[in-house]
Amino acid sequence: MTGALALLERTAGGVTSASREAVGVARTVADGGAVVGLLVGPGGTGPASGIPVDRLFTVEGPGLTDPSTAQYAALLSHAATQLGVARIVVPGTARGRDVVGRLAVRWAASAATGVTDVTLGEGGSLRITRPVFGGRASETLELPGPRQVFAPKPHAFSEPSAAAAPAPSETIALPDGFDKLPTRGAEGFEPTAGSKGPELGEASIVVSGGRGLRTPESFRLVEDLAESLGAAVGASRAVTDAGWRPSSYQVGQTGRSVSPQLYIAVGISGAIQHIVGMVSARVIVAINSDPQAPIFKVADYGVVGDLFPIVPALTKEIRKQRGLPAGPTGSGPG
Amino acid sequence: MEIAVLVKPVPDAETRLRPDAGGSGLDPEGVKWVLAGYDESAVEQALLLKESIPGTSVRAISYGPLARAEEVLRFAIALGCDAATSVEQPAGAPDDPLVTAAALHLALSKRAVALVLCGKQAGDDETGLVGPALAEMLGIAEYGVAVNVRWDAASSALTLQQSVEGGLVRVRASLPAVVALQQAWNDPRTAKLPNILKSRKAAIERMPASEVSSAIATVQALAARRLAFRLPPPRTGAKMIEYKSPEEAAERLVRILREEAKVFP
Ligand SMILES: Cc1cc2nc3c(=O)[nH]c(=O)nc-3n(C[C@H](O)[C@H](O)[C@H](O)COP(=O)(O)OP(=O)(O)OC[C@H]3O[C@@H](n4cnc5c(N)ncnc54)[C@H](O)[C@@H]3O)c2cc1C
Repeated sequence: MTGALALLERTAGGVTSASREAVGVARTVADGGAVVGLLVGPGGTGPASGIPVDRLFTVEGPGLTDPSTAQYAALLSHAATQLGVARIVVPGTARGRDVVGRLAVRWAASAATGVTDVTLGEGGSLRITRPVFGGRASETLELPGPRQVFAPKPHAFSEPSAAAAPAPSETIALPDGFDKLPTRGAEGFEPTAGSKGPELGEASIVVSGGRGLRTPESFRLVEDLAESLGAAVGASRAVTDAGWRPSSYQVGQTGRSVSPQLYIAVGISGAIQHIVGMVSARVIVAINSDPQAPIFKVADYGVVGDLFPIVPALTKEIRKQRGLPAGPTGSGPG
Repeated sequence: MEIAVLVKPVPDAETRLRPDAGGSGLDPEGVKWVLAGYDESAVEQALLLKESIPGTSVRAISYGPLARAEEVLRFAIALGCDAATSVEQPAGAPDDPLVTAAALHLALSKRAVALVLCGKQAGDDETGLVGPALAEMLGIAEYGVAVNVRWDAASSALTLQQSVEGGLVRVRASLPAVVALQQAWNDPRTAKLPNILKSRKAAIERMPASEVSSAIATVQALAARRLAFRLPPPRTGAKMIEYKSPEEAAERLVRILREEAKVFP
């Protein structure tokens, strides 16, 4: 049995980058068969435009603007059964991971999350690799057939190039008993305070600041640097505990785990509880005045020195190189 | 109401990771097993709810090799949980989140639990699958990456926030439910010495391996097989940028990010 189904998770005006990555991975595990996307909610096929799937399934219905994980799992297993595919790839977002757990049970499939590599194995199995222990080790697993569901780790796979023409689409019906499933129960949404850039878990570049910034006001230097790179802003727990920035910024053992292409740590010492949240970044840069700071043990590139002149100079240089207008407030030396 | 909190023994954060002789898993030799970090938040959250909802009791449940499971259960009791159940992992049963969920399901299906709390993931295998898989087995709602879980006494409802991409979603939970914690609203409490001593003698309900074996029989066919456990090549330490002025540091770093690391946007 070939082919694979990928869940497309909506975001304002399109689908999440994790969804595009899922489509790319679905191509690998489709074993020459068709890659089918499933888009849930109102608005027709619009949000999936440019997504390189061979077929697109859409499903609409009451409450499907924001489905629960139980509803996603039911829709995916229904669509996969209808298509006769044996593999489902779910975006590696927090919600996607929960969908994997429910779907594995509902659809009787082997399951994994945080997948950074996948190849076809023997007898319909998949061989996957995933980091464990906060990136301090990795494991290779064989997911037995006949059915598998998994979520890639964000940014572990590149996004496929956009499709030139839209894929043929069809609307599928809701499965039996759908109205009895738990619904989302969401009552409101509070966007992360002050974050203009990309979301921490999704960003391909993260710039984080630590206690070395000294005051909540000078934390702006980190935000300006992030803005120049189009990066998300993170922080050490010293910063969130002090209330300089909300706890949603925290990277580490008791905060978010991130695995961007580039992680820049500014004025962060590199305590193990921070390291476990960012060590799987592809390239790590540290700026710290203490040459002995443990962050330099995990960094690829280090700048030893006072962040106060260095960070604004860096922001300025980046803005210049990227052809952006000279910085907003706070950047520029002095 | 009865709250169950799921607790997993994981290697202590300081553990020196080493592959075992077969190269497919972590060498357990000399590992100190402790309560997983997010599970500690789940215990804290369970105790906070117990303190705010009259007539609530908290039962800690752990699946794993008996000695390890009971170690973390005694810790949960020392922190303030009322009762504990250890679900014994049968010898040779695979370490897989779906198998774990099936074993915990056995323990939960026998009680009328309104709320199941767990950590959003454990610090060893980091799958985050046990909570949602268990919720599907129980046929109930599940709320992942939860923060600010509160009991609203006026409307007898559980409210919480979920930390998702871009912000926090406010949710009114329908019970029964599984809630996987990102953070309790307090830092986890520490156990007091007299309670630690008392917990050593506390009675722990046991679900023997024989009973567990039949509960996990079907799902075991779905378990992943471990092929390799690897440590990354040691990082060789950072390449330090030499510079005479902040401007020079900036120029050099940008050049390296663009030409060598190829991560400049
Ligand atoms: C159970 C537990 C869980 C935890 N979870 C987390 C977590 O999830 N995330 C997390 O981050 N931490 C966590 N911590 C806290 C962690 O142990 C550290 O205390 C914290 O990460 C330190 O933050 P910091 O690096 O910003 O501050 P510090 O350790 O104080 O480091 C500040 C750094 O700034 C540098 N500096 C100072 N001035 C300058 C300057 N002018 N220019 C350049 N550099 C300068 C200093 O050299 C120093 O290295 C946890 C701790 C515990 C016990």
